[in-house]
Order: sequence, then structure tokens, then C-alpha cells
Amino acid sequence: MSRYYYYLILINMVANVIASVPAILLHNHKNGSVSAMILAVVAGTILITIYTRFFIAFPGITLPDLLKKTTSKWFYNPFIFFLALMWFVAGLITLATFSFLLIRFLTPEMPLFQISLIIILSVIFGCLMRTERVLYTIELILLIVFPLILYIFFKAYSNESLEWDFVKEAALYVNQFPNIHSFSSCFFLFLGVVNLFIFNRFFTKKQNFNWKHITLIGFISTLNLFTTYFIPIGFNGFENIDELVYPWITTSDSLRMEFFMIERLLFVFLLFYLGIAFLSILIHWHVSFEFLKFVFNLEKIKFKGFKIGKYIPIPFFIGASLLLIGKLNEYQLLRYSNFFYDTLILFFPLLIILFIFIKRRMKYAKQEKQN
Amino acid sequence: MSSLETINWINEQFKNTNELVQKNLEYENKHILLFYIKSLINSEMLQKLIIKPFFEMSSEEQFNLYLQALPQFQEVQSKEQVHLEIMNGNILIVIQNEFYLLDFKLAKNDKVNSTSVETTIHGSQLALSDNLMTNINVIRSNYHQASLSVEYFVKGEVNQHKVAVIYDKEKVKNDVLDIIRKRLQKVDKQLITSTTQLGNLINDSRFSLFPQMIMTERPDRIVYNLAGGKVILLVDGNPQSIATPVVFFDFMTTMEDNYHTLFISLFLKILRYAGLFLSLLLPALYVGVTSFTPELFRTELALTVAGSRVGVPFSSFIEVLFMLFFMELLLEASIRLPKAVSATATTVGGLILGTAVTEASLASNIMVIIVSAVAISTFVIPVNEMAFSIRVVRLLLIIITSVFGLAGLVLGFFVLIMYLVNLDSFGETYLKIYTLSKNRKTTEEKT
Repeated sequence: MSRYYYYLILINMVANVIASVPAILLHNHKNGSVSAMILAVVAGTILITIYTRFFIAFPGITLPDLLKKTTSKWFYNPFIFFLALMWFVAGLITLATFSFLLIRFLTPEMPLFQISLIIILSVIFGCLMRTERVLYTIELILLIVFPLILYIFFKAYSNESLEWDFVKEAALYVNQFPNIHSFSSCFFLFLGVVNLFIFNRFFTKKQNFNWKHITLIGFISTLNLFTTYFIPIGFNGFENIDELVYPWITTSDSLRMEFFMIERLLFVFLLFYLGIAFLSILIHWHVSFEFLKFVFNLEKIKFKGFKIGKYIPIPFFIGASLLLIGKLNEYQLLRYSNFFYDTLILFFPLLIILFIFIKRRMKYAKQEKQN
Repeated sequence: MSSLETINWINEQFKNTNELVQKNLEYENKHILLFYIKSLINSEMLQKLIIKPFFEMSSEEQFNLYLQALPQFQEVQSKEQVHLEIMNGNILIVIQNEFYLLDFKLAKNDKVNSTSVETTIHGSQLALSDNLMTNINVIRSNYHQASLSVEYFVKGEVNQHKVAVIYDKEKVKNDVLDIIRKRLQKVDKQLITSTTQLGNLINDSRFSLFPQMIMTERPDRIVYNLAGGKVILLVDGNPQSIATPVVFFDFMTTMEDNYHTLFISLFLKILRYAGLFLSLLLPALYVGVTSFTPELFRTELALTVAGSRVGVPFSSFIEVLFMLFFMELLLEASIRLPKAVSATATTVGGLILGTAVTEASLASNIMVIIVSAVAISTFVIPVNEMAFSIRVVRLLLIIITSVFGLAGLVLGFFVLIMYLVNLDSFGETYLKIYTLSKNRKTTEEKT
């Protein structure tokens, strides 16, 4: 597989370490989070395999293109619009989480409006870029940010205050029946692959995808989930861990760089996870923008000879996200994102039926062409 | 065309100048007519190659053949060509109703300069000259390939400067060449006086912050770029060339990188990138840390910074802008000033102003250190044009940081990366990670 494919998966996984996923997991720490995680790794890897296989069969073609060819208009337009909304919400969750985080820990005096505005403005510009440029940006920013995130993980694992006994205790709860909320939030980590709906445009060459790649993805995701769930427990203890709102922030604040200019690792963590969050929102909203382009034929809208079509969604995105962030509080955000994740575990496996449908239609179309 | 008519036409064209010389030579039933502009031609050569043989040869036939055998000989196609070539230092000879042009141009600007903008320790110390033909000669004698092609254009409606487009036919990307040709046709400026000006005219994005062509005066760099498949543009009367398409990493390499051993050049490269990041981020980081998040640094450092700001009446934002403003003034002044005075300017500006400002507690000591560190690290960026861009971007980052804090700085930096990725230089992505692959495109300089 092209290396850009892994970025899509990786970012969705890593971005959610800071978002509500660990909070949901730790909230259910006694009611089957561990078994849900194991189940999610299996289910997620299977989903990734199916989705990737499907898109490899159609190199360089996006999902809306495929749907346009195979389905009728009454289905196509509302469905793509629904997808656009969904991706918007996915980006919005990350955005809201990070705005709250920055207010809590970095600049408490700043209005929420201002902090979310800067994130929105910086991302919106990127959403209009061409798809391949989005991927180049992802690669560059990952290159800067990722070594530091690995450093944080290294610091966490090598720290003396990490009590493995707590971790072992937590692991004992594996015999509980898998919790649905924990499962859905873990499952969400694997959904980076669905960005191929649009990003498949970039992968014009035929890729090969075999068990080696699947193992690699499974390994990375297991490692990531393990770190996400067990490291906060190792630092903060097992009892009452469900009370923490931002378990990873608390964890990273217990790490120190004794001899560096910046002593508290929290700030490194925050500022560089901002990069990951930035990329995550960028990917989601870029996909959302592209879906909207398909639904409304935005490329064709002109005003006095200028193509203004692609700028039309911008005010809606800014307005809607500012409005929603203003209304939400952290508790509601946690609950709604939990609800959002829950719907996804139904939705994306169901889409596979649609894929089978598309595949058969495309096969017929091909055969007819040959005849 | 009849000779009399043409001669009249030429006289008509040049009636507004008194520099056109018309010379009638007659000797032993030989007869020629010479037209030239006295100040443009080499009269010594004229005497040696035309006038002397004229009086020595026995017949007009023989002299005619002799003229055609001269290396400076040029066939006449049209009247307009005659007009143009006379302006370019040719001599028009009329013999037996035939028109010949001979290139006797006198060029006093063909001395090769020594490098002044891109100085290096290793490698050639010679740059280009002001003369186009000398420059092409320099390039050709450094790049021995039959596929090296030169195309000439005449640009600038008033001053009619010659522009040369040089490329290696086997390595260049044809679509880049097409874009350049097309955009060169569109240029309709009255005066073209410099290569970089021409570069700005053929770039479509006028409002771009970053240079989309790289300016160089070093023949080795030109050759390096040619071998990498780039197109070189030269303008007559200009000791600089521009190369295109470029990627961001081109601006961060010097020719010396290839002349050092691997580890030395790696070290220098790291130093250079560190300088780039420092000069971009340091002032904005100072604003972010002192005004928004003082707890970012370890306690001792935070206290030192706060302690040095005791008594400074401004917010950090004003302090930084105030000091940077004077630094930029100093930089500009030292470019414009005569060499003899510029040393005084640096002393007054750097030493006296620096100490006086802290003593008057208009800026903290740490601020002075930061400003000087920033100034020095800006000079580490090897290509001047990039340094200018960085100076502007730095200001933007300071403004963003002073409104949005450290998060603004980080996001602003990401937006900068995104902006660079989104830029195009003649169809080439400006910034992306290049990896080695088998069918690698040859256009990028970076290896």
C-alpha cells in the first residue's frame, strides 16, 4: 500500500487518544472495556480489510463517482448529503474537544469563541485544497509531530511511577461481557479507512493489500489501544479512574522532562496533539466539502465569471460549528459523541451491502461494455 | 528588395539619431556602403577586417566572397531585421546590391564578476557577467552536452532586451517549457531591466509570499539546475539568472553541500534548518510565552524571563514589534548605505541602541538577545529571496500569536506549511516530501 493510506488510518487512531475515546473506555473500566477492546480490534481490522479491498478494485474512483454510475438520483443525492453531514459532525467532535481542552489547560482566559475560531479558520483554508495536497500536508505535519508523540509514549513507558500492578488488575476484567459503548468508541478508531470514500481519488495506481499489511495495521492498532487504555490506569490507579474527564491530560502532566527548557510534558503533549487534531479535522472536513461538491454541483456555480461554488459551504461550516460549540458543554459533548460512535457501528458494516451492490453493477457495466 | 529603397528606408528609420554612420568606400572599381552606429561597434575590428582587406583585394567578387566567409557574417532576411541588428551593434554592408550584416558588437560589460550574493568557501569564486553572450559562453563551457538548447526572445517594448531561455532538451519537462514560452509571449512591459523583474512578470501569482523562481549568480549552480531538468532564464545586461521550476528545498541548499563530506554537510543542513525555525518562531514564541502561557517553561526560566521584563512598560507584543522594527530598519539601511558608512550604522544600531534600550528599560535583555539571534539566524538561509519571505512570515506569526496565544502560533505554523504545499511553481508542487523511486522525476534539485 501507498504510505499515504496508512496516514489516513493512523491519524484517526492517534487523534482519538486525546478525545473522548479514553474517557468512555475508562468510564466502563469495570463493565467490559477490555473485552470490548479485543473485540473491536478484530472487528475493526476486518472492516479495514473489506473497505480497502473494495476500493483497491476501483483505483482512483471516489465513492460518489461509483454511486453516480450505479444508483439512481433519489438515493444518490440524499445519501451523499447525509455522508457530508456525518463527516462534518466527526470533524466537529474533534474540534469541540480540542477547543475545550485548550481553554482548560493552555489559555484559560481566552473566550471559547476565539479559540475555536482560530482552529476553524486554519482548517477551512486547507479543506479547499486539492486532495493530493491535503495528503502532502498530512505527511509533512506528521513528520514534525510524530517523533514527539513517540517520545511522549517512550517517556510514559519508561517512567518509574507507572505501576504495572494497576495495569494487571485492569486486565483481569477481561472476563466481563463487552460493553457496547466501549466497543463503539474503540471501533471508531478504525474508521480512518472510510476516508477512502474521497481519498481513493489519489490512489490511482493499483495497490496490493495482503495479510502483511493487515497484520501491520492490527499490530499498530493494538499497541495504540493498549497505550490509550492502560497507561492512564498505570499512572492514576484503577479505582476511580472513571472520574477523570481528560485521563490523558492528567497522565501527561505527571511526566517531567527534568533537564529541558520545558519541564512539564503536558505542554508538549497539548501543542503537538493540536497538530494531530488539526489533521483529523482537516481530513474529515475535506471529505465533507468534497461530498457537498458532488451533491450541489458546486463547481458549476458562478458569480460574475468567478467560480465561487466551492466557497459557499465555508460560512455554513464556520457558523454551524461556532453555534454548536457555544451551546455544548463538556458533559453533553461526551454523551453526544458516545451516541455518534454508537450509530457508526451499525452504519459502516451496513454499507458493505451497498458495496456488494455497487460491485455487481460495475461488473455488469463492464461486461456490457465488452459486449 | 531594391537597394536604393532599402537604404532610404534605413535612413528614414534612423533620422532621429545622429549616431548612424554612413560610409561610402570606393577604390579601383570596388564600391561598398557601410552603415553602423559608431558607439556600438568595435572600430578596431572594423578597420582590420573590413576596411584594410577592402583596399588590398583585387576585385569586388573576391571581397564579396571574403565577407561571406567571415564568422560574423549574417544573411539579411527582412528590413526589420536590419533595423534591429544595427541597433544591436551590427554593421550593414551594401555590396553589388546585396545586403550583409556583420556582428562587430563592442561589449565593455563582458568581464566575469566574482560572487557577491552567494559566496562560498569551496568551489568557483566566479559568477556571471553582465553580458548575455559571455554568460552563455560560461554556461556552455561548464556544461558540455549537445542537448543544451538556447532560445532567444526580445522583451521590453522600449529597451528591447534580449532574453535567453536555456535548458537541456533531454531532461527538461516539456509542459514547463510550454508554460514559460506562453507566459513570455504575454509579457508586455515597457522596460525590462533585470532577470528577477522578468521572473515576477512571468509568475502568475503576483501576491505570492514565496519566490517561485530561484535567483542565482553561480555558474556551478546553473549547471546543477540544468542537469536537474530546470529551465534557466537570462536577461542581457544582468549578472543574475533565474531557474524554474523550484521546490522549497532548493532554497535551503547551497552548492557547498555537495563539496563537503557527508557529515559536515549534514551538520550544516541541520544548522540551516534550525536557523530557519528559530528565525520564524522565536519572536512569536516569546510573545506567546510571556503574555499567554508563562507556565510553559520550567520555573527558573519563567522567572528569569519575567525578571528581565521588570520595568518594561509595554506588553510583549509591542516590545517584540518595536525591536524587530529597528532590526529590519538596520538591515535595510546596511544594504543601501555606502560601504564606508555601513560599519557605523551597525555599531550605532546594534551596540549602542541595544544597550541603551535595555538600560532605558524599553525592552528586556532577553528581548535583545532574541532579536539578535533572529537576525543572525535569518542570514543562515542560503538564498536571499527566501530570507525576505521568512522576514514577512515572521511578522504574520507574531500577529497571530498575539491574538490567539500559543495555539495560534502552532496553528499558524501549520497553515504556513499548508500554504507552501498548496503553492505551485510552474506545475510543480512547492513543498512535499520527495522519496527516491525508480521512475523519479528529474525536476527537483534535491537528491
